[in-house]
Parts: sequence; C-alpha cells; structure tokens
Amino acid sequence: MPRRAPHLEPYEVFRQEKDGDPMRHGGSVMAPDPELALHYARELYGRRQESTRLWIVRRADIGVLDDPDWLQPPLDRSFKKPGGYVMREKLGQARARTGRPKGVPGGGHSPARDEA
Amino acid sequence: MSLDAGLAPGTRSALEALLLAMADDEFVIGYWDSEWTGIAPLLEEDVAMSSIAQDEIGHARAFYGLLGELTDRDPDTTAYDRPPESFRHCRLVDHARTDWAFTIARRYLYETADAVRLAALEDSSFAPLAGLVAKIQREERYHLAHAEGWLRRLAVARPEGRTRLLAALRTLAPDAATVFTRLPDEATLVEAGVMSAGTADQAVVWRAGLEPLFAQLELPLPGAAADPATGRTTHSDGFRWLYGEFTAVRYMDPVAAW
Repeated sequence: MPRRAPHLEPYEVFRQEKDGDPMRHGGSVMAPDPELALHYARELYGRRQESTRLWIVRRADIGVLDDPDWLQPPLDRSFKKPGGYVMREKLGQARARTGRPKGVPGGGHSPARDEA
Repeated sequence: MSLDAGLAPGTRSALEALLLAMADDEFVIGYWDSEWTGIAPLLEEDVAMSSIAQDEIGHARAFYGLLGELTDRDPDTTAYDRPPESFRHCRLVDHARTDWAFTIARRYLYETADAVRLAALEDSSFAPLAGLVAKIQREERYHLAHAEGWLRRLAVARPEGRTRLLAALRTLAPDAATVFTRLPDEATLVEAGVMSAGTADQAVVWRAGLEPLFAQLELPLPGAAADPATGRTTHSDGFRWLYGEFTAVRYMDPVAAW
C-alpha cells in the first residue's frame, strides 16, 4: 500500500507571557488538523510554563495584506509621520518656560518623541 | 526519618504497594513512549510525545519520592536497582511499543483508567497523596485530550489507521483492565479513606466511561482482564528488553552522582 504523507498545514502561534501582556507572534507549527495544532502549540510554546495564553490560527485563515501599492505608495507621505512635523523649536520653548532640562521625565513627552 | 503517615502497619504497607504500582505504571509507560523520540510520525508530534513521556516519568518520580518518604528509600534506588521481576506495573503497560496506533490505543486505555484511579485518590485521607494527585490530575487532562484526539483520527483513517488501531485494541483487550488489578490488602485502604473506592469498583466506572466514545467510533470495548491475579506480577520479554534499556546508563556507574 503506498504511504501518503499526512496532509499538514501551517498554524501561526501567538503567545502571552503573562496576564495583561499583548499577544505576540511566537512562531508556527505544522499540524494535520486544528486540534493537533493546539497540542503542538502547547508543547512547542507552552510546555515550560512560558505562556499564559496561546492563540493558534490556521495560516490560511489569516487575512494577508502585503500589496506595495497599499502599503508602500510611491509618493512622499512623510508628512503622515510625526517626524514630518518639526517639534524641536516648540519643545525648546516649552522647556525654557517650565525650567525643566532636556531628558528629564514628566514633560508629557517621551524622549523618543522629543527627538522627532 | 520516615514519614509518619498516622496509619496502622497493615494500611501503611498497602499504601506502599499502591504507590509502587502507580509509580511503576507511569515509569514504564513513560519509558515506552519516550522510545518515539526521533521517530514519531511528524516533527511536532515527536516533541509532543517526548514531552508527554517525560511528564509520565516525572509523575513516577513524584510517586517514588512519596514512597521513599514512607520507606526511607531513595527514589533512584527504587526505580533502577530492582530486578525486573519485582516491578509492579500492570500488563497493559508491559507490552512492547510496536506501532503508533498501538501506542495511541494503549495511551487512551491507560489515561482513561489512570483518571479513574486518580479520582479515587483526590480526597485521600493521606494528605500528601491527595496533594500530589491534584497536581498530577492537571497534567493528565492534557495527556488524555492528546490521546483522545489521536484515537478519533485513527478510528476514521481508513483503511490503514483503523486496521492498525483495531489490531492494537485486540492485542491489548485481555490486559486493558489490569490497571485495576486488586492490590494487596486494598480493603484497608478504602476503610482508612486513603482510597475512596476499590479497584473492582474503579474498573466498572472506567468501562462505563469508555462506552460512549467506543460506541461512537465503533471500536470494540475491552473486556475483563484475562488473568486478573497476575495483572501486575508477570512481565514479558518486551519489558525485560526495556528494563535493559532504562537501566543501561545506571549500571555503567551505579554510584555516579548526576
């Protein structure tokens, strides 16, 4: 009797490390059905008590958007990024008003934003 | 100092026999299933079965440890320094591993039986056992779900999967109920509340629990044990081979510290 390889398909596994954390992509497993995918995800991404929750999603069920015309349009869209709006002078003036030097927290802006 | 279980000597020795039987069951099935490492049907299953086998050996370690507290014996000594004939695992787990369908058939029969046995111990008057059982039950739920998932798959995988599953169930049928082999002086355990039901009553609960799924999948229910008196005392050449495997490293240097 010829042996058929089991029909396997990929499932993407998302994991949460502790309560309240966001679900993050952990990796994927190959499985012949959703139930075994659950078991394999448990063994590969949860057997060491490293996860409090797993999401196991059949890769074929994921809506994929990777069209460059949608995501990477050719025209300059830099004005849609915060960096397109120069804050440096305004921030400098604000710091002068409050007397708080650069880099000290509490100014309502994260340092990363201040640099933008 | 051995643990004072607050039990009469007869009950205490019966408890020791119970712990040894459970430890040996988990130890032997754990070792059989660990033989799939590297050769399971697919890579993910290789990890899953190896991990489950490891869990079972972990449960065995816990039972040997509790037994050791009663007897002042080191768990490793109990596990590895006995001759094969003094093992008290049941004949269901004594059979050689053979194919995947056999492993799944055995795992399902064993996990369902073990669940009934653990349920009879969850309110044990011997508190350390009740505590340990509560932890083990949480892991066994997952093991049972894994075995059931595969049993369902194989039962409908015509022709080869189902043919192999039926052959495995035929081989195992006379020994399936040996998990419930009567333990020495087990009546004293029930009387002392160590165990809430005797093995014969547990076997009835187990069979009733198997019925719906076996009927749904049109699988033959295993009958009573063919030779109930020797369910935990006669061992096969298959087991003697496994014994040679699992003691091989130990015997290279019996006094080595790991």
